[in-house]
Amino acid sequence: MATRASTAVTPSRRPQLPPPRDRARLRVLAHRLDMKASPYAYVAPYLLLFCAFGLFPLLYTAWVSLHDWTLLSDTHTFVGLGNFQALLGDEYFWNAAFNTLSIGVLSTVPQLALAIWLAHLLNRPLRAQTIFRVTLLLPNVTSVVAVVVIFSQLFGRDFGLVNWVLSWSGAQPVDWNAGTASSHVAISVMIMWRWTGYNALIFLAAMQAVPRELYEAATIDGASGFTQLRRITIPMIRPTVVFVVITSTIGAMQVLAEPLLFGVYSLTGGPDRQYQTLSLFIYENFTKLDFGYASAISWMMFLFIVVAAAVNYLLTRRARGSLT
Amino acid sequence: MGKLRPRLVTPLLATVMVLGLSACGGGTDAGASPDAARPAEKIKLTVALFSDFHFAPLYEEFKKTHPNVEIVERRAQFNDHHTNLTTQLATGSGAADVIAVEAGYIATFTPLADKFHDLGQYGLTKRQGDYLDWKWRQGLSPDGGKLLGLGTDVGGLAMCYRTDLFEKAGLPTGRDEVSALWPTWEAYMEAGKKFTAAKVAGAKWFDGPGENFRAMVDQAPVGFYDEQNTLVAGTNPDVRKAWDLSVAMIQAGQSAELAAFSPPWNTGLTKGSFATIICPSWKTGSIKDAAPATSGKWDVAAVPGGGGGNQGGTHLMAPKQGKHPKEAAELIDLLTSKDTQLKLFTEAGALPSIPALYDDPAITSYVNPFFSDAPTGKIFTDAAKALKPQHVGPKAGDVLTAFGNGLQRIEQGKQAPQDAWQQVLKDLDRIK
Amino acid sequence: MPRTAPGPARTLTYLTLLAVAFFSALPLYYSVVVASRDNAALAEVPPPLIPGGNLFANVSRVFDTVPFALALLNSVLVAGTIAVSVMFFSTMAGFAFAKLRFRGGRFLLLLTVATMMVPAQLGIIPLYMLMVKLEWTGSMYALVVPALINAFGVFFMTQYLSRALPTELLEAGRVDGCTTWGLFWHVVLPAARPAAAVLGMLTFMSAWNDYFWPLVALTPENPTVQVALSTLAAGYVSDYALSLAGTALGTLPLVFVFALLGKQVIGGIMQGAVKG
Repeated sequence: MATRASTAVTPSRRPQLPPPRDRARLRVLAHRLDMKASPYAYVAPYLLLFCAFGLFPLLYTAWVSLHDWTLLSDTHTFVGLGNFQALLGDEYFWNAAFNTLSIGVLSTVPQLALAIWLAHLLNRPLRAQTIFRVTLLLPNVTSVVAVVVIFSQLFGRDFGLVNWVLSWSGAQPVDWNAGTASSHVAISVMIMWRWTGYNALIFLAAMQAVPRELYEAATIDGASGFTQLRRITIPMIRPTVVFVVITSTIGAMQVLAEPLLFGVYSLTGGPDRQYQTLSLFIYENFTKLDFGYASAISWMMFLFIVVAAAVNYLLTRRARGSLT
Repeated sequence: MGKLRPRLVTPLLATVMVLGLSACGGGTDAGASPDAARPAEKIKLTVALFSDFHFAPLYEEFKKTHPNVEIVERRAQFNDHHTNLTTQLATGSGAADVIAVEAGYIATFTPLADKFHDLGQYGLTKRQGDYLDWKWRQGLSPDGGKLLGLGTDVGGLAMCYRTDLFEKAGLPTGRDEVSALWPTWEAYMEAGKKFTAAKVAGAKWFDGPGENFRAMVDQAPVGFYDEQNTLVAGTNPDVRKAWDLSVAMIQAGQSAELAAFSPPWNTGLTKGSFATIICPSWKTGSIKDAAPATSGKWDVAAVPGGGGGNQGGTHLMAPKQGKHPKEAAELIDLLTSKDTQLKLFTEAGALPSIPALYDDPAITSYVNPFFSDAPTGKIFTDAAKALKPQHVGPKAGDVLTAFGNGLQRIEQGKQAPQDAWQQVLKDLDRIK
Repeated sequence: MPRTAPGPARTLTYLTLLAVAFFSALPLYYSVVVASRDNAALAEVPPPLIPGGNLFANVSRVFDTVPFALALLNSVLVAGTIAVSVMFFSTMAGFAFAKLRFRGGRFLLLLTVATMMVPAQLGIIPLYMLMVKLEWTGSMYALVVPALINAFGVFFMTQYLSRALPTELLEAGRVDGCTTWGLFWHVVLPAARPAAAVLGMLTFMSAWNDYFWPLVALTPENPTVQVALSTLAAGYVSDYALSLAGTALGTLPLVFVFALLGKQVIGGIMQGAVKG
């Protein structure tokens, strides 16, 4: 791959002052070379870097997953698919898979709906556009330390702001950390808070490329804002919708920071593993130095993500017609 | 001519070498020693810690005797520090010259004798006489043949309590009377029942069950592992007893259900959400940092169960990746010296691991103003003297997590005590 | 403008956006509040709402504890280089995937998307081994080089260009005798600008916020902002006033840059660039 691409970058050596007819032929040749080879040249930088820094870790991990591999120990026994076998019978693994799915759905669905709506709102002529757009990004740049602090204040059992507000309606304080459902909700809120603005911005960028005339025509026809969003905007930015759905799915499946921080570095994701995600499960086994098992989990997780992304891709395509 | 030269050169060389030897006088071979050959060589030593150990003045002191050495301290968050260390040791690169390893991790690293410098080779075996025997042995390789780490501090136990809350509950507040309240952990629970019955608004008896459970286990002659590093936590009757008592305390509603060092725990500390908290000596510093506003509301009493027990404490080790083992060893020597440990007790609450200091007036006469002038010097040295050493196994941290999670499941009403115990046993089976 | 909404709807829009802005900015504002007080401020219920007087004391403690100026410089260089590089190379690859027909193209695109699905944490050990071999540990190369281009960016630009770049425009270019490179330079790049700008910003942010990898790859002597923040949070009990002062110091420049460039990046270019 790489060699093919690099020959394409270097233009063919030209003989000096070729006769006109030859020059025309050369031009045709050059054109054909350009048409055939340059696509590879354009994707070459990405592929080169991926082979250097992406493929090696991937294959290495696969190799490790076939071993009884303790970090810090120098002997690694080959166990074939033993780690995977153990994994399939491990209830903690399935628990983590369930939690990941639950938190993924709870956080991604409302997040994307909200993001597309926010982008739609911002895609109109408004005062103070820039300020609104910049503030959308603030959650994503706020460092994790601040996020932990603020959210443990919000979701604190005894002195938390959320429980305080709930108490106005006479509700009992919720121990957010303890319950399965409550912890999933709290973590999903953290994820939504961090990533909604980010995705809104991506939608917004795509919406900017939708020709204004379409909206003008629709406005004349008396279509409401919501109708315009549904009938014009979303169909026009369909590839971006597919993009955001897929990347958000991947992100949700890999979520690590939020549950880790929500549990204040509880690697089991709470005493009952009630919010241990797959990434956290990998991390737990990694700190237990069980590199082989951790690698096996990450390969299983990879498979899950592929399935989840494929399902979402098909759903998105179905709901919105065909891709591109 | 051609034959003459070597004949002349050899005696000449020999003369020079003899002269060189006598000139050095110390007996080191001038030609072979890189130090002597390049006296001005700049050496950079890195020291990796997980907290401020108040070492900065000591670096300056070290530079006086080692003008060619530059010292750089790296500090990272507790979890990050130990995770990074694992990565660096696994890949054989990037570790600092001197690293701090906390008690929960020390038994994980000492079996990897080939990944650390043997400090004994650099003369530090001479320090053995200074140390508490068990602390010394924690720093040895499993066969006892290599000295891999030297201790800084130990975590002798006491019980910190809130005098204001005790007063509200009608309990005695003087530290001797309070100590007399709980000769045993059962008595501690009974005192807790009185406290709970007094219904002091917003306050429970202790912060969370995990730390008390840990203290009880620490006081037993055998803890989670036996001397052969076999995991016996599931069958050790002392562990079961500590568990049952912890469960009883939870069921008596004595726990504030706060995980140590979490932000809600910080808040609870300030708001007075709990009346007692198990205090290894270094934790007195943490309480002061986390809740400065509670100064004067605390006091320190003896730990239930009659002294003994150790929580935390640190060793300094030198990974083999380091290129300057001699200087690293000398630095470790200084950072763990008697004088240093004496100073760090008053500055940071770190209890020395050198028993000779336990009778040093500077320590025994020390009172801690934050804790109502409690004589913490005397309290903690008494605790350290009473301490029965216990063998700490390689995965003690993971074992403790399994038990702590089990207790929390009971606390949060997710499991009946018997089910929680069964699941702990299952978790223990997974710890290899 | 044609799409001005009627009065009440407009008010509703503003109210919604204001609420979103409020919640987005809250934790950052709160960081400043705590950073300007002391550790005890965290435990106060209800929490303090206005900054106190300790900001400068805490900020100077930050500079005493860690080489923060160096950390800021490193972060700007690393994130800036990565952002520019990702923008350029992703546009190139995105153009190829979206508009050029070539054998294996769809497969390669699929592979690209698949590489995003690989869990990142597990790559850390092998990647670190690689960096040791290259002798890049502790240097900014370890952060920059592996991140010069990524699957996210390629996929992002592919999806954007596939819709926003009219194929007729490219065909017209071909008829005019443009080579592929000429097309890329004169047609694709201008059309890609709005999305590339957004991609640049997103990339800059994630490079700035990257935590796990820099913590392993770098040393606190030569840190990025996030590595410096880990140093500030060291200790059994975190000194929140200190670490949140660091947080504010590490974030506010970013906000400032966004606000300054915001008009250029997300305002101006977007509005004017592509009209189909």
